[in-house]
Amino acid sequence: MSRRVLVLAERSESGITDASYELLEAASRLAGGQDGVSAVLPVADASEAEGLREVLPAGELLLVEGPAHASPTADGTAAAVLHAREASGAECILLPHDPVGWDVAPLVAARLGTAAATAVSALSWREDGIAAKRSAFLGKFVQEVEAPGLPAVATVERGAFPAREPGPALSVRILPSPVGPGDLRSRLVEVRDAGAGGVDLTAADVVVAAGRGLGGPENLDIVHELAAALGGVVGASRAVTDAGWLPHELQIGSSGATVSPKLYVACAISGAIQHLVGMRGSRFVVAINKDPDAPIFGAADVGIVGDALEVIPAVTEAVRNSG
Amino acid sequence: MNAVALVKQVPDRNSAFRPAGDWIDESSLGYGINDYDRYAVEAALALKEAGHAAETVAVTAGPADAGQVLRSCLAMGADRGVHLITDRAHLADPFFVARALADAVSGLDAGVVFAGLLAEDSGHGQVGGLVAGLLGYSFASAATGLHFRNGRLEVHRELEGGRIAVVELRLPAVVAVQTGINTPRYASLRGIMASRRKPVERMELAAPADGAGLRRLTLSRPERGASAEILQGSPQEAAAALVPRMRAGAGVSFPGDAS
Repeated sequence: MSRRVLVLAERSESGITDASYELLEAASRLAGGQDGVSAVLPVADASEAEGLREVLPAGELLLVEGPAHASPTADGTAAAVLHAREASGAECILLPHDPVGWDVAPLVAARLGTAAATAVSALSWREDGIAAKRSAFLGKFVQEVEAPGLPAVATVERGAFPAREPGPALSVRILPSPVGPGDLRSRLVEVRDAGAGGVDLTAADVVVAAGRGLGGPENLDIVHELAAALGGVVGASRAVTDAGWLPHELQIGSSGATVSPKLYVACAISGAIQHLVGMRGSRFVVAINKDPDAPIFGAADVGIVGDALEVIPAVTEAVRNSG
Repeated sequence: MNAVALVKQVPDRNSAFRPAGDWIDESSLGYGINDYDRYAVEAALALKEAGHAAETVAVTAGPADAGQVLRSCLAMGADRGVHLITDRAHLADPFFVARALADAVSGLDAGVVFAGLLAEDSGHGQVGGLVAGLLGYSFASAATGLHFRNGRLEVHRELEGGRIAVVELRLPAVVAVQTGINTPRYASLRGIMASRRKPVERMELAAPADGAGLRRLTLSRPERGASAEILQGSPQEAAAALVPRMRAGAGVSFPGDAS
């Protein structure tokens, strides 16, 4: 059983985003081949997309064209996706599980009178709907859900599918946008860098990252001491920077820095997918956590299950004595 | 015009969760307000304090004991609560929840509706957006900053790779907030006392139709392909075993190493 699948293609400075190529792969598998995949690209003017046709491996590329799409907005993109859904007859819409998908997927799903299956890592058809494997409890558990009714909507976790190789779209259609700029309730003012700090996490050979499980900022000293003993720098999970224990620019994860050091030591970090995305390029990963089920142990080479407040000083001591 | 916060009661994050059937074992669990939603409540309170909202209203859908999270919102400073009473099992379908919340919100003269970006338990991350879609309100997710100017709301959205999108929304709008957008206040003793006199409107929701909406099938611990080698023993023993593995695996030398 296979049916047509629609994905949202997004542009980046260098062409099409990696997330889009992952969606195209997920869609191709679900649709039983590239022929069954439609990709929608909202554009102000179809001439912008010249060249992109050659690198978008879909059965058909739908360019939803109109001045409303001069810059992306939640409602503008949702309208373009719904329009392309009707034009293509797709029975499943795949969006990225990232800030774009978080904006667009619920608006699309609401219009279709359904919930989206979100944070999805596997998908299959049901007779009248889809089944999906998704992440729940902040990455601690994997959940299988069934979303009855077609068309279905899903957001796909980054890294769950390999990126599809660029290749040409088999056909291109230009669809006039159903919305004008005056119809939109949101407007993109600008996109800018959040501003980086003085520490270059991305260049460090050794990163020691602090997590919420440390309990409070008063316990960060032991993390700094371990970093000093290892000749590394201190980073943090989102929970730690949100709580103000460490500055935001030290945050490692999908919304912060992406690091790929030779040695990564995760101290009392549970390992939500958003954090793992930021450190999975590390050569050797050590995890210290009191919860043996913490997802970080699935991303680590070596782990110690125990109270970080006891284990970290012991590691610091062992490193100092080993020289 | 009012500021509304959508809140959810979730199992306490420090509980030991065990998968059981299609969900977790719910016996002997503590419950509290979803952490993300505390930031939504704070944003609503701040909007009123800045003079942009007449009242702040906290709304939840959940079982009878979910009234506790409304009380904690009222203790933080919200003016009133709306409790849509339904079985905990019915919270499995985000569309059912969003439909009920949207119906309630539509009668609240909402200017801005704040929701947490996601719930710590189910993690669907879409109820705020569904409410916006159902009501035709503007929507922005992953908000890390808010500014009110000329009757429009300017929202800073956190994108990937340390970038920020600045978007302007017409009102009414729904904003799904990231943690860290503000510093949620704690309830003062006075706030707790005052909360007892604040009104909470309660409504029973009709049960969803059988077979409609998102259904839970299974919940399990993730399979780990290449799982970590877990070092045993006392902290000192584990640490001693760790050091040579770090050296070999990472291929780095440490500052204290003899040169």
